[in-house]
Amino acid sequence: MKVNIVSLTCCAGCVSSFLNAGDALLEILSQDFDIVYSPTFVDLKEVPQVDLAIVEGGVRTEADEKLIREVRAKSRVLVALGICATHGGVTSLGNIISVKKLLEKEYFVLETSKLPELEDLMYPICNFVDVDYYIPGCPPMPFLIVHSLKSIVSGKTPIRHQSVVCTECNRKIIAAKLDRLYGIYDKEADPNLCLVSQGFVCLGSLTREGCGAPCPRAGFTCFGCRGPTDSLLYRSRDLYSFLVKVISKRTSIPEEEVKKELYRNPFIFHTFIFSKFERFKARERII
Amino acid sequence: MTSQREITISPTTRIEGHGKVTIILDEAGNVSDAYFYATEIRGFDYFLRGMEADRLPFIISRICGVCSTAHVLASVKAIENIYGTEITETAKKLREVLLMGQIISNHSLVFFFLILPDFWFSKEEDPSKRNAFQIMRENPEIGRKAIALRSFATKILDTIGKREVHIVSAIPGGLISPLKEKEREELLKAAKEACAITQEAVSLGKELFEKNWEEFRKAGDYKTHYMALTEDDATEFYEGKIRIINPEGAVYSEFTAQDYMKHIEEKRYEWTYAKFACLKTLGCQKGIVQVGPTARINVNRKAKTEFANKELEEFKRKFGSPAHATLLFDYARLIDLLYACERTRELLEDENITRTDTRVKVKPKGGIGTSVVEAPRGTLAHEYTLTRNGRLKSIKLIIPTQVNSAAINLNVKDAATEFIQKGEIKTGLLNRIEMVVRAYDPCIKCATRNVTDGLKVEIRNQEGKLLKILS
Ligand code: SF4
Ligand code: SF4
Ligand code: SF4
Repeated sequence: MKVNIVSLTCCAGCVSSFLNAGDALLEILSQDFDIVYSPTFVDLKEVPQVDLAIVEGGVRTEADEKLIREVRAKSRVLVALGICATHGGVTSLGNIISVKKLLEKEYFVLETSKLPELEDLMYPICNFVDVDYYIPGCPPMPFLIVHSLKSIVSGKTPIRHQSVVCTECNRKIIAAKLDRLYGIYDKEADPNLCLVSQGFVCLGSLTREGCGAPCPRAGFTCFGCRGPTDSLLYRSRDLYSFLVKVISKRTSIPEEEVKKELYRNPFIFHTFIFSKFERFKARERII
Repeated sequence: MTSQREITISPTTRIEGHGKVTIILDEAGNVSDAYFYATEIRGFDYFLRGMEADRLPFIISRICGVCSTAHVLASVKAIENIYGTEITETAKKLREVLLMGQIISNHSLVFFFLILPDFWFSKEEDPSKRNAFQIMRENPEIGRKAIALRSFATKILDTIGKREVHIVSAIPGGLISPLKEKEREELLKAAKEACAITQEAVSLGKELFEKNWEEFRKAGDYKTHYMALTEDDATEFYEGKIRIINPEGAVYSEFTAQDYMKHIEEKRYEWTYAKFACLKTLGCQKGIVQVGPTARINVNRKAKTEFANKELEEFKRKFGSPAHATLLFDYARLIDLLYACERTRELLEDENITRTDTRVKVKPKGGIGTSVVEAPRGTLAHEYTLTRNGRLKSIKLIIPTQVNSAAINLNVKDAATEFIQKGEIKTGLLNRIEMVVRAYDPCIKCATRNVTDGLKVEIRNQEGKLLKILS
């Protein structure tokens, strides 16, 4: 199988993560998995016709757009690797520059003027081309990448992750009695209790599982790098009110107060999904 | 003119991120100037403004997935600097192990995946084969070594950083959780194996390097200033003083991280979004500085670990001190790699590293703070100004690739001058540009927090009219 690895606007962390797969990587490389094009590793200039294209990064420039269209036209299967490719990623926070005024009103008064206006926004690749599989994550964990690729290589649909990070996190959820929320550096976390039950704003309850919950397991809040889970993508897209309910339930702080606290920082929810989606409809293809 | 086809040998490849080269010709068709640069901004420096300090370290690491750990550590240190936080010895040791993991992860990637193909294959090799995957196919043993070192780094970052890319454990005040004794033992065992593999990699690298040295030494030899962290004259990555030496090797200045911006200034050119950085006192013409593997050796007299120190001494004997040839970066990088493995082992042998006092309470406040660490590509500085309520007011990052940009440009101009005369382009231009640029292991994503299209060579006349694009 001939494979392309393509990087658009990104931090290169996703391909790095793929290279972290260790023996599983060696195994996949020793099978029918021939990386023929990858500017980071291979000296081939023209995008070749291939069976599988793995794309990290989103579309920020015309060059990105041209490349992704060419790659799509020349690949049988196209995988969007990482949340830059699937949802726009952290770079899409740059999109705030053009809504600066709005942010000044809603959020924080930016003290400098003269910020250069960015002309273009950062988009996920699905705004431009059809995507066969989406593997969100910033970056997706090596095992997730390798497992999914193995299935794809053998013509099967990779295992989907439809539930939330909480299912992979061993912390015990209780309805605690708290009077305020905490920042992650404000106090040390109890190692066994759900972080939300301790007053931290953990996004595990609205984030897609599949990462193994490394962050909450370590005592750091999940900040949503796998993107919203199925139900929140389609049934209710109001992440705020969903999380307000969860936090209020697990802390006994009234919803109104939780809301006030959360609205102070819109980045909490949109760190990785600030972009604009046009054709993101293939839920059954999100791994 | 030579036909374009001959020059189109994959210029964009095996460099992290993408760059662009413009060569300007005078009326006679000779080179008057040449630039290596980047073209568009990803916007980190802008959209981070207003962000809560709490969220900075893990968002800022998304500038670069290849050296994310160095960014996280620089970031938490800068915040601690503002808060006036002193972290514990235990936390410091663990952070140093993380940084060593970063060095190993990057350098093993650069050596095995980006550089080795140049040493390994003859120049005539079919370009579609000149890559690490082909080496692994021909010689699975090398593949196993590359993967073993990479996996070792992954294990460090995963165990202590809690994630292999974009770690989450380093927070202002220390480390979020201590290292368990069982984890220490496992890491130590892995460190011993990794040290053995690294020594083999160093021998292999040296052997191939020396075979090509006569050729390599021709590719750029600039007598510039050098900068790196130092402690008691020994190489240091996590803390210590910043030392700058002049081209003859004498100490030019030495200062603490807090004063970094007083000594290094950024210069903006209208043709690139990647700001240059150079010595404030001498300006950007005379004050060219290089950072990175060679600089770390040039600035210091010794390394703290046994084998790295031996290699360092041999390096100085062979190439002089300071050593100047551009491609020595590739050799010096191997010494870094060896140091990082040995140092990791040393830190893990210390049983005190599993003490549970990894975290102190921070007292947030506003102000300005600067921090410096040695990232894989050289000295990395973060400076933040926080408002009273803990939001980012302004930010200034000086990234190794920015510092090296001036030297990279000299190299590119030289290659251009050598290969283009009277509008005639000799074959080999792109190959040369690619090799010197690759030696610096530039991280264009970092230097500009930015996006670009592939490495292109544009040739313009003095009026700026585009004559030709090679890509
Ligand atoms: S998804 Fe995250 S890790 Fe992957 S390229 Fe984007 S920023 Fe980097
Ligand atoms: S909210 Fe966070 S800490 Fe609580 S169970 Fe879910 S993932 Fe775990
Ligand atoms: S726990 Fe949350 S932030 Fe951490 S890797 Fe999983 S989805 Fe990403």
